[in-house]
Amino acid sequence: MEGVLFEKLSVLGEGAKYDVSCSSSGADRSNIGRLGNAACAGICHSWTADGRCVSLLKVLLSNDCAYDCKFCVNRRSADVKRCTFEPRELADLTMEFYRRNYIEGLFLSSAVVGSPDRTVELMYACLWILREVYGFCGYIHAKVIPGVSPELLTQIGLVSDRLSVNMEFPSEESLSRLAPQKKPRSIFSPMRQITQTQMEQKTLKATGNMARLRPAGLDCGAGDGCLADAREAVGEDGDPVGPRAAASGGGLRAGPGEGAGQGAAIVRDRRRRAYRERFAPAGQTTQMIVGASPETDLEIVTLSEALYRRYSMKRVYFSAYIPVAEGPELPSLLTPPPLRREHRLYQADWLMRFYGFRADEILTADHPNLDVDLDPKVVWALRNLDLFPVEVNRASEEELLRIPGVGNTSVYRILRQRRIAPVGYDDLKKMGVVLKRARFFLTANGKYYGDGAWDPCSLREKLSPVSPQISLFEAATGELSVR
Amino acid sequence: MNYLYDDTFEGFLTCVWHHWRTGKADGIFSNNGAYQLDLLHYAQTVETDGRKAEAVAEAIMRKISRWDAERIYRVFLTDEPEKEMKLLSYIRLGFKEGPKIRLLHGHPVVAPVQKAEYRFGAEVHRLCGLVRFSELDGGTLFARIEPDNDVLAHLAPHFADRFKSEPFLIHDARRGKALFAYERRWEVAPFDEGAYLRFSGGEAQIRQLWKEYHAVMATKERLNPKLQRQFMPARYHKYLTEMQP
Repeated sequence: MEGVLFEKLSVLGEGAKYDVSCSSSGADRSNIGRLGNAACAGICHSWTADGRCVSLLKVLLSNDCAYDCKFCVNRRSADVKRCTFEPRELADLTMEFYRRNYIEGLFLSSAVVGSPDRTVELMYACLWILREVYGFCGYIHAKVIPGVSPELLTQIGLVSDRLSVNMEFPSEESLSRLAPQKKPRSIFSPMRQITQTQMEQKTLKATGNMARLRPAGLDCGAGDGCLADAREAVGEDGDPVGPRAAASGGGLRAGPGEGAGQGAAIVRDRRRRAYRERFAPAGQTTQMIVGASPETDLEIVTLSEALYRRYSMKRVYFSAYIPVAEGPELPSLLTPPPLRREHRLYQADWLMRFYGFRADEILTADHPNLDVDLDPKVVWALRNLDLFPVEVNRASEEELLRIPGVGNTSVYRILRQRRIAPVGYDDLKKMGVVLKRARFFLTANGKYYGDGAWDPCSLREKLSPVSPQISLFEAATGELSVR
Repeated sequence: MNYLYDDTFEGFLTCVWHHWRTGKADGIFSNNGAYQLDLLHYAQTVETDGRKAEAVAEAIMRKISRWDAERIYRVFLTDEPEKEMKLLSYIRLGFKEGPKIRLLHGHPVVAPVQKAEYRFGAEVHRLCGLVRFSELDGGTLFARIEPDNDVLAHLAPHFADRFKSEPFLIHDARRGKALFAYERRWEVAPFDEGAYLRFSGGEAQIRQLWKEYHAVMATKERLNPKLQRQFMPARYHKYLTEMQP
């Protein structure tokens, strides 16, 4: 029996690790159940040997998939060991791990068992046991299976903190080529429903700093900006199924048979129920695979910007494609995962969410791909040298944020100190500014600290991180530039 | 003059009091034996006095701010070298500048204090994730840590809420004390674990499952142990279940 549990955990953990999201942020609640709470900033509990954090127990409920997506380890035609957790078995394991502070909660995903609805019912059964029977109050992230019915989505949203629907690929063509059983409509319609429900319960917030640092020249509705877009987006093709209608229609509220007697008592308790009435308080995220299909970075970044502005996604994750299957449509099995490209995409993503950049500023049709050697902010600054150098004692918040090497914390400190004392060059270092990059683009009290060069070419040379020997080596080994 | 004190926050505040009333402090040192005689300065052992300490604390809150008083306490709990003198300078500057001292991010007196406070907060946050409990016979949860800073009291609110229905204790092996908590009430007290810790029957299996899971989750195409150590420094590995061989 114990051996079986070991096997299930390793097979189903193995299957889930290609989902990159592991954040436990966005929900803030104290322990109103029996065990657990959620911290808004999220807490990482461990890091695996690949340097990625383990915050949630990330597992599949089952890897017994009905679909045959060409890129996936668990596709129907793959020869892998198949197994499925019993809902209670997984709930018990989660509780034991949580008590020992190994994890911050559960990230539950699954292969498609029979049909999307059947799968989500099984997932719901497990989450329901955790919440209602065990009084679990920690973080839950549930993966939504495309094609799930709106009623079930409502149910699972009420027991989860965060929901996510995977885009899988950055374009419709790639999706229909590589995951023929997943239709774009079945992906966008749950996304839309989640955004709509959050709007109804007034918990929809703009992503990162996107509402505050609204770039000039972006016209997408008046007033509260991003939320207007979201309204427009979810209204446009009139999805008739509102969450309210769904909640009254859902027969699952009483909970699946197991343990119902014990759970019902808790459900009746109004005070404890308060948090459960909230639908996905930590919002939704999505993920797409990079490097398995021909899209340019421009397309990817533009698409993520649209997702942020229209659906107020919390995050769009990128996953460097790791070849796990062979096929005429896929890169060869020897292709190393494009880690550097993934890294640059995340940097571009941060520029959009926290620095007030637009997608079309980061990349243009002439330069549709991110520079692998330099970070996108430096590249942007080199293209717009006429805006620099910036005087740190006079510039606006938006202008300060655009200096390479200056981040949100430094800007906050500069703005605060400026109110009572001038900010000198030495202060900048103590404030956390990365002067290695920033000194070329700013002046402090009117003095410039860069060394001479003031054209994109020589600045680029000074800002490039690699020594000549290493770049020769990298050139010789192609993509093998793992940091 | 060099002042020696008994390693308590009250003792430190008493030294601050003497700095003004008795004579300028050239150094403030803990009298735990590490102090080396200094030929240039006369050393005096300060007797901790609650009333003097309270007067200083009250002055800090009135002339600077409550927020800064808490900042000073947090920095006092760090292992920052010469933290006493750094804090004394901070208090002196604070008496001059008032509450706006916290806006002077780049000031040579403020920056080190700010940095030490940041390190303290970062360790508290990191340990919220890195504390590993084991179940003892009888169901009590037990964890051991060796943190750089004295963080127990700052870990308490988080864990006391999270595990409100479980009795648990977190042992700071470096400082010989522990946090005891049950049903949201908690206390920090001296503790010596002795030999009487016995783990429950199911403990070994859960540990094994966690280790197995942790190993499986690493993607072999992206191995990057340096990055792993950056987030989870080697000095924490000793008490991490998943890093045990």
